[in-house]
Amino acid sequence: MKKYILKRIVYLFVTLLVIMTATFFLMHSLPGTPFDEDKISSLSPAQQQQIYASYGLDQPVYIQYFKYLGNVFQGDFGTSTLYSGQPVKSILASRIVPSALVGIQAVLVGLAVGLVLGVVAAYKHNTPLDYLTMIVSVLGISVPNFVVAALLQYLFGLKWGLLPVAYWESYASSVLPSLALSFGVVAQIARFVRTEMLTVLQQDYILMAKAKGLSPAKILMRHALRNSMLPVLTILGAITVNVLTGSLAVESIYSVPGIGSLFVDTIKANDYSTILGLTVFYSAFYVVVILIIDVLYCVIDPRIRLAPAKE
Amino acid sequence: MMKKIAAAVLTMALLLSAATGCNSFTGNSAEPASQAGSGAAKPTSVSFYLENEIPTLNQFAASDNIAFTVLNNISEGLYRLDMNDEPQPALAESCKVSDDKLTYTFTLRDGLKFSNGDAITSKVFRETWLEQMKADAKNGYAFILTDYIVNGQEYSEKKVGADQVGIETPDDKTLVVKLKAPTPYFLSLTTFVPYYAVDMSFYQKQGASYALGKDNLVYSGPYMVTQFDAASGVTLVKNPNYWDKDNVKVDTVNIKIIKEQSTALNLYKAGQLSRVKLSATDVPSYKSSKEFTTHTIFRTNFIQFNTTAEGTKNLNIRKALSMAVDNNTLVNTILNNGSEAANGVVPKSMSSGIAGKTFGSLQGTLMSYNAEKAKEYWKKGVEELGGQVPQMTLVLDDDTENKDVGTYLQSQFKSVLGIDVNLDSKTKEARRSLMKTGKYQMGLNAWGADYDDPMTYLQIWTENTNSFRGNFKDTEAADAYVKLIEEAHAERDTAKRADLLVQAEKSLVVDNAVVAPLYYIGSAYLVKPNVKNLVEPDSGILELKYTEVD
Repeated sequence: MKKYILKRIVYLFVTLLVIMTATFFLMHSLPGTPFDEDKISSLSPAQQQQIYASYGLDQPVYIQYFKYLGNVFQGDFGTSTLYSGQPVKSILASRIVPSALVGIQAVLVGLAVGLVLGVVAAYKHNTPLDYLTMIVSVLGISVPNFVVAALLQYLFGLKWGLLPVAYWESYASSVLPSLALSFGVVAQIARFVRTEMLTVLQQDYILMAKAKGLSPAKILMRHALRNSMLPVLTILGAITVNVLTGSLAVESIYSVPGIGSLFVDTIKANDYSTILGLTVFYSAFYVVVILIIDVLYCVIDPRIRLAPAKE
Repeated sequence: MMKKIAAAVLTMALLLSAATGCNSFTGNSAEPASQAGSGAAKPTSVSFYLENEIPTLNQFAASDNIAFTVLNNISEGLYRLDMNDEPQPALAESCKVSDDKLTYTFTLRDGLKFSNGDAITSKVFRETWLEQMKADAKNGYAFILTDYIVNGQEYSEKKVGADQVGIETPDDKTLVVKLKAPTPYFLSLTTFVPYYAVDMSFYQKQGASYALGKDNLVYSGPYMVTQFDAASGVTLVKNPNYWDKDNVKVDTVNIKIIKEQSTALNLYKAGQLSRVKLSATDVPSYKSSKEFTTHTIFRTNFIQFNTTAEGTKNLNIRKALSMAVDNNTLVNTILNNGSEAANGVVPKSMSSGIAGKTFGSLQGTLMSYNAEKAKEYWKKGVEELGGQVPQMTLVLDDDTENKDVGTYLQSQFKSVLGIDVNLDSKTKEARRSLMKTGKYQMGLNAWGADYDDPMTYLQIWTENTNSFRGNFKDTEAADAYVKLIEEAHAERDTAKRADLLVQAEKSLVVDNAVVAPLYYIGSAYLVKPNVKNLVEPDSGILELKYTEVD
């Protein structure tokens, strides 16, 4: 197990290196420079040369690449050109906090509500309660989160005045964005849990449990749910990453100073260091989440062995 | 097992939100945006928003209107625009201009101080300007000084030392500036942020951390920053060391970052914003409101023709294309956002250099929609091209506004000239690089003024490095245009200079049809009735010094 995890961590760094390299060269092959071309063109060629030199952009791309790699290994992700002179690390650090809070709350709420809905729907299979749950989850999947966000903002913020319309001023500010983001999560989890539960409930060991005379609640919680959790865990990783990276619309509707819009803004501005920093962050987050989930598999289902058995 | 996992996850989440959540919130400023002050003691506040994040508050790095809007209100220059857009003495008490109009002698006010108590002297201005002139000044605005000041260009290119630049400080209160050529708009240049005073000793001490937070800044303007987060906004309060603090009426200014127009409108309705910009779709429902107002800024959108590309190299083809466009319909039915139909490339309200006369009053009619004439020119052009109808492509940015304009132009060309024009929408950078390398026939482009003078527009069609020029060079007509601009640069008589500039614009837009001006960008707003004297100069940079709240 330890060996396996170590190996995975090595792979993790290789993956990150590949992603970083690809992003670096793709970014540098985009047309334009990080500067406002209209302004730069008002400078004389000698002046333009100096401004490129001061950012190291006058050198061939491969030299810039190795310099960048060297810096990254020393933990330096460079400074942003869009947010003039601010270290990429501190930009990311300050943006991640609101996004993470909103994202984690959304996933937790989504997981809790989704689980309950899924279990109820499976248990009350083919009853009005089941249909209702499925309608909710179809809506949750098909209605984009920005529509939900705008609706919640109008109702809770403007009409009833219960929660802040927007801004990031107190804990209350994080409630509506989290709710808006959790809708999709609820729907996905509910559908998944329902399908899995239905399969599990057909299994012989459930029949066995029933025959033993266990109460329905016990069967549901101890035998059925635990076995349905495994696939849920698989998608939970993807959902968490999606919620964190896909919060752009919701964050801009609620004016949350998060990480969502940073990607779009920096790509538009050719802000190489920030894009790279962001890409590295997202990919690192993703691979780490995958690793954690792989490890959790064995915890939940002891039958799964990640490392090949010793011969 | 399940319980353990669930408990672990929950604890982690709680810890996370407890540890990180608390200090990321910016604190409550949700009090009503514009309080009605019943007593004199009651603090007043207004709330505005910016449509994107604040890239920087470092004056040497700031290059867009978002940063300038904040900087303009926390710093001050020798002059500041008054409510009628005229430059008035600010940190300078007065200015004496020599007879040859080449030497400006500014006298500073007594006892000027930065917010930290450092004295604002003429040397502060000299050092700030020298720093801004360095070619690698991050904002790319070195030219805004080096184009005018004696030896500025040479200093920027490191050919001469600082002592040879035409900025002298005979004493702490006197600043003598020597210009290369007479510049009727030099005083209005000093009202532009890159000319403002920076506490250079503080700047040097801060090094790389300058302007990263509110404590890494020093203020010379009406307000100072008490809260600063690039992604959520700034809070400004009155600067107690400001020379004219008695005339600053509002105690607190909140400037938030709101990227969604619908969010801003909701906040405005909830009383948390003093002014909101309306999207074109919202304009009809608020047009009759008392709070409705529109405002155009010095930014012109136009079609740039490539004068050497297939088809558009023919003058009659270019004339036909520009006459086929009806700017009024474009502005009133397509854009519907407060923009104004363009007559020329230079906005109508721009100063002509002659006191009390706008450039628009001298311009005459340059752009006029005439379908019949357009057809005639098109026929003539096609004949000159050997009877071959050229295939046309228009490159444009891939945002909603440009696409709307592009589609309108496409339909107009179809109905008037009977031709199918391809639209090629690209990212801004990709579009610029196409235009820079000359691989286009027509492109949608825009230019915003750097200063209040027609030269800020007309000069760009004489510069070689510019993607705007459309290869309008090395021909008799282009040389004649360059000559007009050069003559205007050298002309000391303001009336004659204005006349040369009028001729130049006519040559550019009418005679040579190098550009087809479309519209002056404008916006529609709702403003709370209790907010008075909110000035948005034509530069689009908010001026909050004069704002009052009932």
